[in-house]
Amino acid sequence: MHRHALTMPDSRTLVANAVLLLLVAAAVIISLSMGTVQIAPAEVIRALIGTTEDPTAAFVINELRLSRVVAGMLSGAALALAGCLMQTLARNRLATPGIIGIDNAATAFAVASVVGTGIAIAPSAMALVGAATATALAFGLAGANGTRGYRFIVAGLGIGAIAGAVTQVMLSQVAIDDANAAYPWTVGSLNARSGASVQVLALGLAASCLVTVAIVRALNTLQFSDPVAIALGTRLRRTRVVGLGLSVLLTGLAVSVCGPVGLVALLAPELARTVCRPGRIPLTAAALAGAAFMVIADLLGRTLFSPLEIPVGIITAIVGSPYLLWILLRPSTRSLT
Amino acid sequence: MNAPLTAPANPRNVVASRSLFLPLVAAGLFLLLVIIGSLIYGAGPVTPRKALAALAGTGSDEAWFVIRELRLPRTLIGLATGLALGIAGALLQAMTRNPLAEPGLLGVSAGAGFAVAVAILFGASTATLTTLIAQVGALAGCSLVIAATRVQGLGNDPVRLVLAGATLSGLLLALTSMLMLMDQRAADEIRFWITGSVAGKSLATFQATLPSLIIALTLVVVVARPLAAMALGERAAVGLGHHPGRIRFLITVTVALLVGAATALAGPLIFVGLVVPFIARAFSGPDIRKTLWLCLPIGPAVVLAADVASRLMAAPAEMPLGVVTALIGAPVLLAIVRAGRMPSL
Repeated sequence: MHRHALTMPDSRTLVANAVLLLLVAAAVIISLSMGTVQIAPAEVIRALIGTTEDPTAAFVINELRLSRVVAGMLSGAALALAGCLMQTLARNRLATPGIIGIDNAATAFAVASVVGTGIAIAPSAMALVGAATATALAFGLAGANGTRGYRFIVAGLGIGAIAGAVTQVMLSQVAIDDANAAYPWTVGSLNARSGASVQVLALGLAASCLVTVAIVRALNTLQFSDPVAIALGTRLRRTRVVGLGLSVLLTGLAVSVCGPVGLVALLAPELARTVCRPGRIPLTAAALAGAAFMVIADLLGRTLFSPLEIPVGIITAIVGSPYLLWILLRPSTRSLT
Repeated sequence: MNAPLTAPANPRNVVASRSLFLPLVAAGLFLLLVIIGSLIYGAGPVTPRKALAALAGTGSDEAWFVIRELRLPRTLIGLATGLALGIAGALLQAMTRNPLAEPGLLGVSAGAGFAVAVAILFGASTATLTTLIAQVGALAGCSLVIAATRVQGLGNDPVRLVLAGATLSGLLLALTSMLMLMDQRAADEIRFWITGSVAGKSLATFQATLPSLIIALTLVVVVARPLAAMALGERAAVGLGHHPGRIRFLITVTVALLVGAATALAGPLIFVGLVVPFIARAFSGPDIRKTLWLCLPIGPAVVLAADVASRLMAAPAEMPLGVVTALIGAPVLLAIVRAGRMPSL
């Protein structure tokens, strides 16, 4: 094996990443141009680089729409990266944060801090605590079977159900205005975000990317069996702990921005695996696909039934669920786990 | 040497009747306790003491009014819901041979819920119509589940089926949320109903579901024997003179009637159909007929107990019943998985 075979991207992956990057850029520009005021894409680019003559356009783009699109982009990338990492570590295509209940748990903890149960820590921190708790529970309950068996997934279903119920309990105990304010949280929406949590997410995502680059070779060896990975010089335990920590961090921070947006963490890595060369973990492509997916879903949610706004979590569920159903139900001899 | 001749002709029957008697009596007694609890506990000024006095015929008119007009309908609806969901769960699990097959998890309840949400959006408000629509939705959901179990390889993979059901539920829930955004008036009605609650429903709703419950229970009596034969495998069932296709059809209809009625009554309650047969099987063993008998008292008892808990947990406010059943049911789900007894059906 070539020395760089596990780290250097091949030409097909490079092309795929370039195309996905263009897709993200296009999605961002179109998303910025659409809304109650339509702004031409060329004007959007001028406003972004600060050379526009039109003060209204500059204000609408930079002050009103940009923060939302950036939040969508970052949270989509973070969720997809978290999903891809967890799938790799668990060696299980279905082991994404949404399916094993991490999203819901993070939401429950974040809602607890939003509706004021006396815990005044910032939602980001609380969401992180929730994500970590759920991950620990899922892995703990999976027991000796590890992440490969059915227990892992069903444990996640149970954790998700409990967390969802707890969220509802908290929402039913507060005044109706607070409950309405927290409603976007329960379906996943970019409306409930706070500026601070987006900044925390940006920092966390940047740090995670750096750490991921450091362990990417080890992650790639995890596609082989444990003995092979060890023979290739991978420290399994350290890689797993770091990778899992990253995906918990990314999920928690993303959920504190956009709520439990379902299935991005599953669909984006799937898409990335399709377009990239097999045999390598397509982390970059997954993150780009996640960003594009989130921005496009939010754009659809804002414009399809305008002036009515459909939360992004509903759009991703409607788009993603049929695909997940197809994965699960197609007659296939290949095992999913 | 003569001892075997003096033994009963079929010793298994004796053992069977003895082993089922105690659990049935215990469950019946527990159900009675919970019914009384459901009548005497509640929000408002009618305390358990006053309610007991009213029940004994010596209480105030006010207490008697509260019991008759508010708590009695609620109790009846809880009874019917628990009965329907427990039996539907047991049937579905025996049918799919999957101890996790639960109407709520597999998307049958979500199908009924989505159908009702659409109906509310178009202005349907009568109880009879809602019940019928919920049953049509449940029929669609149930047919999908049965069809999915027929897919090659999926029938032997309990978790894939459950995950597919959860995904279907998620999809239908997202579509329901979208409908709620379309119409504020309908949204208020749906939101109240979708968390699952037996409170504030009139006796008319209960009466509207009664005919379909009776039909469904009759079907259960018809189908129980063939279903028990199906447990031996499809070929054995054919050999015993049953028609698997017909049995599947009848069970689909029965489950749809039951889940549709329960959903029309109390909203999509998750996990009841999982917990009730789980408890019943612990006493009855794998025989579906015994399990069904035990589900009769256990189902209503579980739902009513959860309802009483929902009144007491956050008094003076009330918690949605669906939340309580989820809090009870999810640990049971984890316990089933943890016990590692999964492929036992």
